[in-house]
Amino acid sequence: TIHLEDSIIVSTISPAEARRLWSHYENATHDLSLSLTEQLRLILAPTLATKMRGDFRTGKRLNIKRIIPYIASQYKRDKIWMRRSVPSKRSYQIMLAVDDSKSMGESGSGELAFETLALVSKSLSMLEVGEIAIVGFGSAVRVAHEFDKPFTNEAGARVFEQFSFQQTKTDVQKLIAESINLFREARNKSSGTGAELWQLQLIISDGVCEDHDTIRRLVRQAQEEKIMMVFIIIDALRGSSIMDMSQAKFDVDPAGGMKLKMERYLDGFPFGYYLVVSNVKHLPSVLSAALRQWFAEVVEASG
Amino acid sequence: MSTDPTVAAEPLSGAQVKVQFTTRHPDISLPENTGPILVPTHLRRYGLSSIINHLIASEKPIPFDFLIAGTFLRTSLDEYLTANGISSESTLTLEYVRSLVPPLYLASF
Ligand SMILES: [Mg+2]
Repeated sequence: TIHLEDSIIVSTISPAEARRLWSHYENATHDLSLSLTEQLRLILAPTLATKMRGDFRTGKRLNIKRIIPYIASQYKRDKIWMRRSVPSKRSYQIMLAVDDSKSMGESGSGELAFETLALVSKSLSMLEVGEIAIVGFGSAVRVAHEFDKPFTNEAGARVFEQFSFQQTKTDVQKLIAESINLFREARNKSSGTGAELWQLQLIISDGVCEDHDTIRRLVRQAQEEKIMMVFIIIDALRGSSIMDMSQAKFDVDPAGGMKLKMERYLDGFPFGYYLVVSNVKHLPSVLSAALRQWFAEVVEASG
Repeated sequence: MSTDPTVAAEPLSGAQVKVQFTTRHPDISLPENTGPILVPTHLRRYGLSSIINHLIASEKPIPFDFLIAGTFLRTSLDEYLTANGISSESTLTLEYVRSLVPPLYLASF
């Protein structure tokens, strides 16, 4: 390909090339995506074994805690039965956000990102649990696939057309802010279906981003709106692993001088849920482990 | 660009670039497992020197000079990147040597 200067509009790949790439990565990750689909099916399916709960006049099992008050109330407080609660129907909106910045290309993470994108999007579409959106981010955020469109192989190829790993910034702050808006819109559109809606974002990136404090605040805001964010760090290891990376910060000391602080980069990473993946083969197990943990926490929090 | 230290002290967050430090002098080389380091792009040789001094745990601060692609860095990293049309998405390789010239603007990061 021709080398283009940064200032010139970023070239994207041709439709034919995108189709070829999509089928290449889809084939390469086929077995893995079957395995991921199976693991996710177990996690994402609503829990079938439901609990006995509640205070009813009739039911299946006595609520022991209600017996003494029942007798003490001269048999008036008679809601002493529990019933099996019906599992609520859940639907999902899952957004894959893929880092399209130049560092992805330079570190060799682009290929791993394509593999991850093919693997995860294919698995989710086979699951048929809800809607999938895909966005690319760098200096700008671009929607490559919208929630309300079906995710087919044709759609996968069109998504690939949008990526070139040439954007000259990695604005994760902008990504999170715009994602929150996209999730809000999608939630409004899907309201009225009666199903309980769960929103999840998977970010696929080499993990190098700045302004961690601002990002941390935005991630907390997303959490308050029940949007779960999982950051998948693609660690291509060309050069060096992100595990060995550190960060130099300068704080102003009381005397007005500069105080150097060095820390391990990942120690200040602003996402509570992140995974480091250096080989796409490990993704199904690591990703499903992270999601299982998240679901356990959400279910616990909602009682 | 101002050399006023109070102005230089302002941008504590903001743009960063990934650098890999190297040297040809074994007596000032970094510990073997030192990985890449994300540094603020407003740094100049003085700020970069303090990072090297920290990493090699020198008792007395040593002033260093930095070379990028064989040329001495005389500006901030930010100015260097802009002047050379390089984005902060790249990893910069910075070679460092003991400085022969005493630093002119000690207060300027
Ligand atoms: Mg980047």
